[in-house]
Formats: sequence, C-alpha cells, structure tokens
Amino acid sequence: MKKKHILISFLLLVLSFMLVACTDESTGEKEPEKEKETAGETEKAPDKEIDPFDHSEKYTITGMTFRFGDPPPLSSPGLDMINERFNVDYKPEIIPQGDYVEKSSAIVASGSMPDLVGFQAGDTRFYQWAEDGAFLPLDDYLSHYATLGKIPDYIYNSFKVNGKIYGIPRYSQPFPLTPIIRKDWLDKLGLEVPTNYEELEKIAIAFTKEDPDGNGKADTYGVAIGENINPNFNMGTYWDFNAWYHQNDNGDYIPGIISDGRKELVQFFANLYKEGAMTKDFAVLDWASTNNEFYSGKAGIFVGGVSGMSEEYFQGLLSINPEAELVAIPPFEAPDKSKGFTMGSGNSGMLALNAKLADDEGKIYRALELVDFGKTYFPAEEKNPQNADFDFFLGKEGTGYNMENGLPVQVPTFSSDGLSPSTYFLDNREQVPDDAKINYADSYKLPELKEMTVTLQEMFESNQMYIDPSHGVLSPTNQEKGTDLMQFLINEQSKMIAGQRPVSDWDALVKEYLAKGGEAIIKETNEGIKAKGYTERQWK
Amino acid sequence: MFKATGGERVMEILNNILLLLISVTMLFPFLYIFSVSFSSISDVLNSDFLLWPKEWVTDAYTYILGSDQFIRSLWVTVYITVVGTFVNLVFTSTMAYSLTRNIIGQRLILFLVLFTILFSAGMIPTYMIVKETGLLNSLWALIIPVAISPFNLIIMTQFFKGIPEELTEAAIIDGANDIQIFTKVILPLSKPALAAFGLFYAVGHWNSYFSGVLYLNDPAKWPIQVILRQIVIVNEPNAALGGHAAMVEALPPPETVQMAAILLATLPILIVYPFLQKHFAKGVMLGSVKG
Repeated sequence: MKKKHILISFLLLVLSFMLVACTDESTGEKEPEKEKETAGETEKAPDKEIDPFDHSEKYTITGMTFRFGDPPPLSSPGLDMINERFNVDYKPEIIPQGDYVEKSSAIVASGSMPDLVGFQAGDTRFYQWAEDGAFLPLDDYLSHYATLGKIPDYIYNSFKVNGKIYGIPRYSQPFPLTPIIRKDWLDKLGLEVPTNYEELEKIAIAFTKEDPDGNGKADTYGVAIGENINPNFNMGTYWDFNAWYHQNDNGDYIPGIISDGRKELVQFFANLYKEGAMTKDFAVLDWASTNNEFYSGKAGIFVGGVSGMSEEYFQGLLSINPEAELVAIPPFEAPDKSKGFTMGSGNSGMLALNAKLADDEGKIYRALELVDFGKTYFPAEEKNPQNADFDFFLGKEGTGYNMENGLPVQVPTFSSDGLSPSTYFLDNREQVPDDAKINYADSYKLPELKEMTVTLQEMFESNQMYIDPSHGVLSPTNQEKGTDLMQFLINEQSKMIAGQRPVSDWDALVKEYLAKGGEAIIKETNEGIKAKGYTERQWK
Repeated sequence: MFKATGGERVMEILNNILLLLISVTMLFPFLYIFSVSFSSISDVLNSDFLLWPKEWVTDAYTYILGSDQFIRSLWVTVYITVVGTFVNLVFTSTMAYSLTRNIIGQRLILFLVLFTILFSAGMIPTYMIVKETGLLNSLWALIIPVAISPFNLIIMTQFFKGIPEELTEAAIIDGANDIQIFTKVILPLSKPALAAFGLFYAVGHWNSYFSGVLYLNDPAKWPIQVILRQIVIVNEPNAALGGHAAMVEALPPPETVQMAAILLATLPILIVYPFLQKHFAKGVMLGSVKG
C-alpha cells in the first residue's frame, strides 16, 4: 500500500519535471519569432535613408554602468523627462562601482546584455567582448553627433579592435594628480618649494623633525602615501611608473615601473621610510585613510588635481590648521634634462553598444543620441537656466538645482530622488573639447582651494606634457598578465621601501619581471607603438 | 564542599583576569565605533580623544537618519530577516521531518542534499535560475534560493531522529495523522532547535549583501548591508592599473558617518542575541551526540 503511494508521488514528480521542461521549450521557440518580426520591419524600408534625429518611433533602450555614488531610483521625474524628450522607454541599470564587474558579468553571461554597456578604464573584458563580436562597430555613426563626432581620433584609437571603433570614451582631463605641499609649513621652517629629489627629501625630513605646525609635539611628517605606493610622487615623466618613457638598449620603450627613474624613486622612498618621513603603515593604508593622513594636518606632502577635489576634506584641514596653504610642486629636471609630467590617457572608462542593435538602425541612432547628449560640454558662461539643454540636463532650476552666486548647485537629493536627468545618463561626464578655455578654479567655492587650483593650472600650462606612446596600444600578454605582474612589482617595491628587500636587488627584480611575461609585453607594445607611427618622444 | 587549594585559587584569579582582558579587547572595537560616531569630525581627524567622545555631537546620526534610504533599507532587511527566517524554518523542518520517516528514496534524497554541500552552483548559474524563474528584482530572490540550508537540514534531521520513536507511536495509537504528529508532537519538542536554527538563518539574512546587489536592480529595495558598504567601503581607484582617478569619486563620507552607519546596522541583530543566547549554545551541539 505504502509503496504504491510512493510510486505515484514519484511519477508525479517526473511529470512535473517534464512540464517544466516543456514550458521552457515553448518560451524558447517564441524568441526567434520575435526576432523575425523586428527583422521584417527593417526589411520593409531597405533603401530609405534614416534620419538620425527622427523621433517618430518609440524605442526601449536598456543600459548598464557603474557609479561611485548612490544609484538613482528606477522611476523618477528625471527619468520621465528623458523618456519624453527622446521618445524612448529608457531603462538604465546603475550598479555600485565595487560590484560592477561581477554583476555585469552575470548579466551578460545570462544572455541579457543591455543595449549600452559601460566599462571602467582598463577593464579588459571590453576588448575581449569586442573581439568576440559582442559590440557594434561605431565608425559609421559617430559623425552625426555634436559631441561624439568631435572627440579626437587619438582618443578613439584606444577603443579600436581590429581597426574598428567599439567604444565611446568617458572623459578625463589630461592633467594628472601631481604633488602638492604645505606652503605654510615651508614658510615656517624657512624652506623653498623643492626643485629636485634631494631637496624634497630634506623637506620631508624637516617636516618630520622640526615641528612645522609649531604645536610643540612631534606629530607631523613628510609624505602621505598609501597601499600600492599610491600616490607615486613622480616629479615628471622620467619617474612615472606608469608611463612608457625610458628605452632599453634596443631602443624599445619600456614601462616606467622597471626604469632607472623608478629605481631612484624607490630609493628616495626607502630613505624617507628610514627617517620616518613618510606614512609608516603605507602598505596597508587605503585611499581614504591616506587622504586622512594629509587632510588631518599630519603629513605635509600629498597630491592634488585641477578638478575633482573634495571641498569637505579641504575644509576639514582648514578647521584644524586655519593657516594651511597648499601649492603645486613644479616638475623636476630629470637626469636626461627632460622636464614635465605625463599627459592622461583622455578617458576614464568607455561605453559600448550591443551588436544586436545592428538590426535596427533607428534604434542605434536614438541610443547614440542619448549617449551624445549626456556628454555635452557646457562652457562656464552657459551653465545657467538660460541654456535650455543645460536646464534640462540638471532637471530644471528650482527642482534639480539652484543658482547660487552665478553657479549651478545641485540639490542634495538630485540623484537619490532622481530629480536630474543627468544622473541617468550612463556617461554623464562632459566631454571637454581640446581647445576649450577652462578656469578650473571656477568650479570651487572655497577660496583656499581656488588658490591651490590656480597654482596647479598655471604649473601645467607653463610646462610641456609627455604623450605616452602606449596609450591605445593593445598587448594580449598585458591583458592576460599585466595586472598581476604590476601588482607583483608594486609588492616587491613596497618591500624595498620598507627595508625588507635591498634596493640593490633591483636588477634581479627586473629580470624576474621580464621572465614572467614582461618581455612579451614590451615586444607587443613596441610593435603597437611602431604601427602607430610613434618613434621620437613627443611632448605637448 | 569542594575546597580549592592555594594554587588553584591563584590559577582561577589569573584565568579570570585573562578572560576579562580578552573580553575587553572584544569590546574595544565596539566602544571605538560608538565614540567616533558621537564625536565631531575635527576631533576624529585630530585623534583628539581616547575611547570617549570629547564633546557629544549627533551630526552623523542626523545625517544618516535624514536620508530616507537608510531607514528604508533597514526595513527591507527586517522584512527579509523575519519573512525569510519563517520560510527557512517551515521548509527546513518539514523536509527534515519527512526525511526521518521511512520513505523510499530517502537515502537518494539525502545524497542529493549532501551533493549540494560539496558541489554548489556558481554565481552565474544561480543568477540564471533566479532570472528565469522571474524572481529578479523581487525581495523573494533573497529568500527562496536560500530557503533550505543543506547543512542545517541534516542537523535538524539528526535532531528529529533523536526524539524517541515511542512518542510518535503513541500519537498514532491516539489517531493522529502525519501532520498532526509533526505539529503537535515533534515541533513542540523541538523548540530549542527551532530557536537555534532561527538565529542561524536570521543572522544570515541580516548579513546578506551580495545577493542584494546581484538580484535587485532597484536601489529602493536594497538591504541595509548594501547601503552600509556604499557608505563604508571606499571605492578604491585601482592604483596598480595606474588610472589618474579623480579624487572626489573615491572619497567616502567622514569617518563619523561611517561609524554611525555601522552602529545602526549592527545594533538590531545584536539586541536579538542575548534573548536567544541560551538556545544558541544548545543548538550548536544539536545532533552531535546520538543516544
């Protein structure tokens, strides 16, 4: 009796499994039909020229990207504004930066890659997927757009795979983060802004031992530095670990991390470490804590940039040391007489379009129009409600932002309540044209920060910058092993700085790097550099 | 009466001192978090206090509680924890009980359960199942895929097996059916086990974080741990990759706000512990001794 019951229940179980399997098949069958439908629609008008800015048809456009701050809600006034203006049903998925790689991989692997896909700078998946044919070549479309069409080729070159452009750059300004120093401390100790590493070393030690803040306590030191030897305090391209500047005996460019300049820099740090003139626990200090070391008035030397500085942090420093004054340290003259910092790559990420869009040109145009708008550059004098596009972008004056002293100030909840359309554009960084005259200090309110920004901008504009030949050059070995190798070198060099490994081991370390794949990276990269036609070092 | 010798007494005192020191070191991080969260930003930057706020400031709390998001995500977590734990207990206990009855295929089912402990599917297959079952962007995605923990299931099965067979037989003689036996005899006898597993599950739900990011697209549905991570963990610019990261992208809110967030996110589940403590300790040993 009992056995019968069990048999029946077992049969039921099998039956239910079959049912599940069947429904799965039927949904599977439906999809090709749908595809046929859309394919049929485009076939109807094969020869008709499509107007890129024709908004008569409504499209659903999906996308995903990373965000450093809080992602906006899924429905909001800002999103409605976008849907209305572009006649789309826009579904952006904005994912916290820290989880982006894993989540986006899961989404793509599950077969539902959205129409627009964002990547962080250096994400090698972009190149792999482009090679696999997952993305749409953009060469034919870009010229239609006011912003996308004007991005210089040398920037697009970084996103070429097999000769076609697959990515739209996310802007980053060309000026790197460079060292800044406490001018008030220098004045107090009667010292000058340094012009070479010996002077910088003396200053860092003086900051440690001569009580520059005058509180009678030995609570200050020289250089604030955190894990991964970051910031790297290169005082010019010659010492930049990340630039391809030095050349080996064959005349091939080599990465800065294994160059003589870097060795000099590691020796410099090792000296500071011995004297206690740099952050003691640098090897385990994260970026926020490193910032803390400087902005709490403990360390006197750190890095700053012309844009993206935090006024809150600066204000924090001023509340502790009201007389704090920061100035940029100009680049040092290198042993080979070169002088100047390395220019940035011009991008901080990229956006690609799903290859499946190829079926529907109208949708490609609409998607690109959306991307193009998000990257629109508004000069300072147009950042006000009189410019209708700008007013739209920030979600209308009085709702998404307010004008204060002639500057637009976004309301605190512009993103968390989705009040501004700007927060929904996957790439919402303005693409600053190469020839734009920008006064970087304009974007800050704090006078002290404005002053520092002015010193930085003047310093950059009065010095040449090195154009790194490796930008936009792909090396398969680098994609595969580059990150691990770089981490290996950084870890070993951290040991050298902390005195756990002698700096005299340098040549052995370089050999190890070359043997582990560095040789191939250098070979492949130089082939790419030659293919670009870059031979002599270029400065701008 | 047992009388301690001198040596034993010294030993005991030393022992107590040692244990006391250990518990103080356990308390230290909590006290630090508490103090920082109530201090002013400049005091924290200056390291101007030692384990007790110099002046009491509640800015950090007004900042956090002033945003809807924090409170909303706290409610989401409470919801997931309460509903999720209930679902866990219902499914785990019913399945565990049926596995103690002599049914055909019992060994096979147990084997399949064990199999999932040893070989579990990775993130992407699980994601695909959640997606295909339409659970994406629903809070149930954080509850159903983890409805039964195989490990807890096996322990609970062992526990049920420890209940004397005679009780069940007596109930059958009294005319009870399987469901009545389960609800009226077995469950009341298993209260400590249920409490212990309830706590295991509840803590798991409370701390669940990655599935929240993975399955939920709507920030309004995110549990507290996701928000906490946003506040506390710095979005590190990858220095090894060499990007000239803009500084502002990478900077978290002040430490006082971080600590206040940690405190608010930990407190509720911390408060549950003392009440369930006695069951918890008993529960850990469940099924370990048969007899």
